[in-house]
Amino acid sequence: MQRGSLGLRLLVLAAVWVTLALAIAGWLLTDIFRSHAEAELARHAELHLDELTVALHPDTDGRVAVSRDLSDPRFQRPLSGLYWQVTDDQGVALRSRSLWDQQLRPNGGVPDDGGLHRRTATGPDGEALLVWSRLVRLPDKESPVEVSVAATTADLTAATRRFAEVLSLSLAILALGLLGAAVAQVRLGLVPLDRLRLALADLRAGSTSRLVGAFPSEVQPLADDLNQLLSDNAEMVERARTQAGNLAHALKTPLTIIANSAANLSDPSESALIQAEAERMRRQIDRHLTRARAAAMAKGAGLRTPVLATLRPLARTIARLHPDRDIEVTLIGDDALTFRGEAQDLAEMAGNLLDNAAKWCRGRVTLSVTADGAEHLRLRIEDDGPGIPATERGSVLTRGIRLDEAIPGSGLGLAIVDDLSRLYGGDLALDQADLGGLRADLILPRA
Amino acid sequence: MRILVAEDDSNLRRQLIQALNEAGYVADPAPDGLEAAFMGETEPYDAIVLDLGLPGRDGLSVLRDWRAAGRTMPVLILTARGTWQEKVEGMDAGADDYLAKPFRMEELLARLRALIRRAGGQASPALTCGPVSLDTRTGRVTVAGHSVTLTAHEQRVLTYMMHHQGRILSRTELTEHIYAQDFDRDSNTIEVFIGRLRRKLGAPVIHTERGQGYRMEAV
Repeated sequence: MQRGSLGLRLLVLAAVWVTLALAIAGWLLTDIFRSHAEAELARHAELHLDELTVALHPDTDGRVAVSRDLSDPRFQRPLSGLYWQVTDDQGVALRSRSLWDQQLRPNGGVPDDGGLHRRTATGPDGEALLVWSRLVRLPDKESPVEVSVAATTADLTAATRRFAEVLSLSLAILALGLLGAAVAQVRLGLVPLDRLRLALADLRAGSTSRLVGAFPSEVQPLADDLNQLLSDNAEMVERARTQAGNLAHALKTPLTIIANSAANLSDPSESALIQAEAERMRRQIDRHLTRARAAAMAKGAGLRTPVLATLRPLARTIARLHPDRDIEVTLIGDDALTFRGEAQDLAEMAGNLLDNAAKWCRGRVTLSVTADGAEHLRLRIEDDGPGIPATERGSVLTRGIRLDEAIPGSGLGLAIVDDLSRLYGGDLALDQADLGGLRADLILPRA
Repeated sequence: MRILVAEDDSNLRRQLIQALNEAGYVADPAPDGLEAAFMGETEPYDAIVLDLGLPGRDGLSVLRDWRAAGRTMPVLILTARGTWQEKVEGMDAGADDYLAKPFRMEELLARLRALIRRAGGQASPALTCGPVSLDTRTGRVTVAGHSVTLTAHEQRVLTYMMHHQGRILSRTELTEHIYAQDFDRDSNTIEVFIGRLRRKLGAPVIHTERGQGYRMEAV
């Protein structure tokens, strides 16, 4: 996943959250464990305190003495980690054998009531100790004595560390699991966005004119907005195109009038000049009209024009436009073949080629439609007329050049076909036909 | 030969009518679709020049109505949009030919001549009847190779008769085809034109059918 990706952002957020949450949980759990273990230690200490208190009695010389040893053998073993000590108004009166020659010196103040006091201290072996003390008032003794039991925290600390280790390992495994789940979630969650991207790719490739497919409710508005934008755009282009078309067509009637008025002028050179200029204007209009249309077609996005169904009426019309001659236009091809573009443009290209063939043929014109690979169509138009010599074939594609001025026509037909086919990413090639006349091969995108 | 010019642009309409008159036709103007539809339906035109972008009613629907009503006169469509789809639509609606703007007047006249000739069943642009011959392209009339000069009206009567050889043509029919709609017609003048034509042509090609009219036929 690359920087700035939505997936990375979601994963980083998940990782931060999981780590933070698990760290806090680990700390809390360890703390609870330690408190619990310490409470257990305190309970035992209190039992020892009770036992010690019961065994205490005033001494004959006014101090205190214990009537018997405490039951826990650790009190007898030197530096065992479990100690007791009794302090009266004259200082330390009694202490456990385990303390050896040391004393307990708990931090903090002296207890001043009958409750249990918890303090810390450093033991005879330098270990950390917890000290629980209580003030006890003995009979026949004026001042209370302070009774303390101390226990080392080493076991507690070790147990807590072990607990923390096991807990950390478990939490780390849990974190990995959660992150894995987050990755899966992000991947699955972003699948609709991938679908959207694929749909957009289709759109760009021209196989559709809008985003197709059902998207989740969070993505659907985006797809809908995109589609709306696309149709707004298409509408705007269509409007601009219509206006360009209207402008061009509005100019044609005045142009006819100007050219015809010029034809009636008394000065023949003036008349020829105006007519030539009017002709130039007409060519410009035709050229830009074709371009306006072609520029708007957006590579024929999503269009499927059945070829033969579009060409049949055209072939019929071509034959009728030359009623003096018995022209037979034959269409051959597969009805299923479709052109990726507008019917109007297909009619324009095929119409010009067919009309050209009809003008020059002796009676036979054939049009065949075949597939040219998976991506293209081949329209082959042939006639049995005189054809065009190989040396002159290139020049007829140049706009406005006519090889023979005797047959009426604008001389633009083949050039317009060439222009349009190129704009569709196709091609027009001229050759000698099997019938003897001209063969025009038009390659167009297939839908 | 009487032509209806249905074109909304007044300048182009005037030019068309002038060019048609100079070529020996009689032309009636129709500035919008409604008038064009009515005139085409009620008057016997030899051909119609029909602009597709007419106000009131569009040319294609007018044309379809004429054909539906059984009117068979040749119709030449004019339009600014010269796409093949439009040509197909126009021809399927019953047009006989198609001309995209801008066009040259000579081309329009040539196409009209061809349409009228075909409508009369003539194969060649030069019409003949015995020694009399009429070149529809130039309007030149010859009798046995010698040029004959005719007035505009005489020319129109002769042209119409040459196109409809062998058929009896009533005086009313001839009047309708040589005068524009707004002209004050008098069918008696036909007799005068026929008389002058017979004298100028010399050859006995125009026959009188009593009580019915005239017939042109080589003996």
